[in-house]
Amino acid sequence: MHTSSKLTKEFTKKWVKGLQICCSSKKNMDVLERKKKIKLCADIALASAKNATTSWSIALISEAKKEGENEILVDNLLGPESPFKQQKTIPLMSACHKRVRSKKILKRSCSVGQRMKKMGPPKSNLAIYIAKTLVKKRTQVLQRLVPGGESMDEFSLIKEALDYILSLRVQVDVMRSLAHAAEVSNQSDPNVFG
Amino acid sequence: MAGDDDPTSLSSDWTFNNPNDLTNTSSNPIWDHHPTNSQNLGAFCDMNMQNNANASSSSLGFWKGNLVAPPRNLDMCWGPTDTAIKRGGMFLPPAASAMLPHSSSQFPADSGFIERAARLSSFSAGSFEDVINPFGNLHESSLSPYPSRRQVQPQDGFVGNGFKSASSEGSKEMARTVDYATNDGHQRIQGGSSFSGNNLPGETEFSGGGDENSNEGLGSKKRRSDQDTDYNHIKRSPQTPSEVTKNSNEGQQNGENNPNSVANANKSSGKHGKQVSHSSDAQKEEYIHVRARRGQATNSHSLAERVRREKISERMKFLQDLVPGCNKVTGKAVMLDEIINYVQSLQRQVEFLSMKLATVNPRMDFNLEGLLKKDIMESRFGPSGSLGADMAMPYTLNQSQMAIMQGGISGVGRSSDAVRRTVNSHLVSISGGGFKDPASQAPSTWDDELHNIVQMGLNPSTPISSQNLGSTPPGHLKAEP
Repeated sequence: MHTSSKLTKEFTKKWVKGLQICCSSKKNMDVLERKKKIKLCADIALASAKNATTSWSIALISEAKKEGENEILVDNLLGPESPFKQQKTIPLMSACHKRVRSKKILKRSCSVGQRMKKMGPPKSNLAIYIAKTLVKKRTQVLQRLVPGGESMDEFSLIKEALDYILSLRVQVDVMRSLAHAAEVSNQSDPNVFG
Repeated sequence: MAGDDDPTSLSSDWTFNNPNDLTNTSSNPIWDHHPTNSQNLGAFCDMNMQNNANASSSSLGFWKGNLVAPPRNLDMCWGPTDTAIKRGGMFLPPAASAMLPHSSSQFPADSGFIERAARLSSFSAGSFEDVINPFGNLHESSLSPYPSRRQVQPQDGFVGNGFKSASSEGSKEMARTVDYATNDGHQRIQGGSSFSGNNLPGETEFSGGGDENSNEGLGSKKRRSDQDTDYNHIKRSPQTPSEVTKNSNEGQQNGENNPNSVANANKSSGKHGKQVSHSSDAQKEEYIHVRARRGQATNSHSLAERVRREKISERMKFLQDLVPGCNKVTGKAVMLDEIINYVQSLQRQVEFLSMKLATVNPRMDFNLEGLLKKDIMESRFGPSGSLGADMAMPYTLNQSQMAIMQGGISGVGRSSDAVRRTVNSHLVSISGGGFKDPASQAPSTWDDELHNIVQMGLNPSTPISSQNLGSTPPGHLKAEP
């Protein structure tokens, strides 16, 4: 998985950089704040490591930017590329969303009509209908999970979810190893933070 | 899917399972000429035969995929296909068709054969992956959560099991084969839709074997296209259009594309545009000829949706590899469920780890970054020196931690002790390279760490929390000066 190792390196670099920016800005933070910052840095680093190639990364960054205080951090962390893209993608996403919504409305109207027509074998219909509903519900849940998923149709949602899972894995691995290393160094050398 | 694995047995399969297959002998050499196609054909033939001795519709649906995918195969000479073939709904496999043109009379009367052949040829063209998917899905999801309209049709026998004979009409079968189920194999296979103008090129050629056939086919096609079938030209492969035209040439249908495209254009122009863009977005540069199954709504929406689902099922395959434990999972809903669970668990892990890091490193000044980076770059979490052994730790640690964390982050002193004990037990059990000593002194180490940190006064301004694994921030923080 050479790509994931690249991603790992990218992510690590950006994350650490972000963390440094973070702690340079604020010295006194309680744990929860720190945690938030850490997570934020991690998320942004992950998203930026993708170089805005995927829509979830764009969505993630734009979400992070919405909060004023994070903006500086985000900008510093990302550099020039992503913010530009973000401006572009906002109309894109809204357009996408509209298109998806209109498609859904169309589909719904069509499918309703079709369902009315095809009451022939009710059993299979019902089963199918149930199955469809299940799938719909789950895709909705997935949409909520994946950043920026609301404005995606099913197909791209799955694609994004795939990518997102990969990146999340990388993120988890890196964080875990860092946490572990921190623990180890704590144990071995208590002066590390001195 | 024995057939999938047994391309070489094509000829044997054909002869074996196709008593009606007159063209077995003749087709064999044809197959040889088109090894790829034959392979596919064999694979599919095998399946088809097993499922359906005279599978007509089943193979049809499957075939459609084939027909579409390998444009070159469609280049068969449907012209020569005679009425006999048409009657049987036989579809000469596109690959075979090239060879068959002159042996039309020998074409098997089995429509299923034709369908299969068409499918195989089309599949060989290159969308094998797609083909495989349908097969995989065939077995998996007999009840696929797909639009009911597709399933309701009697011809939609393909569900999950591929090749049930949908219908026995000759031309209809042909149409059916062309019917491109979208994602799942059964969808593809559904060849149940009446096809009017949407016959795949091969089909058109096929039906065009005899003029009557072709005429009939055409007529039916046109009628159908007006009525039911919708033909979405989704760009699948650049070859397909040309192939289609070639095939249609035989059966006087140059225009098999034309009627199809006309039908499509009439019905799904807007959608087609979307489809095209969508498919192009999907990084798939192929034309997917989608045919509605018989009795199904043939508007562009359903067809487009089917194609989309086709792609989705492909993606699901990828996701299956990603998400652990998904190999046996079949069905879209369950897969989605697994994916959701996995994403949620990963996100929770991130939360947990960030909390852990927040507690471990009060100043977030990660001096370890160099360490960590080095380790990551070098070993990718593989064993590397002492750290390598330590790496094994977090995985178990994290599991216990995760469990605890999820129990409640606000976990307090009590939980921290429990966590520590768990961690210690893990430490002891793992006792990696550099961990032996700490592991042995595990219980005390943590407390020592805490004390050390506290005493060092690493950061008087911020509360110090040692390895409480993120589960004791408030308690410990308050406790310590």
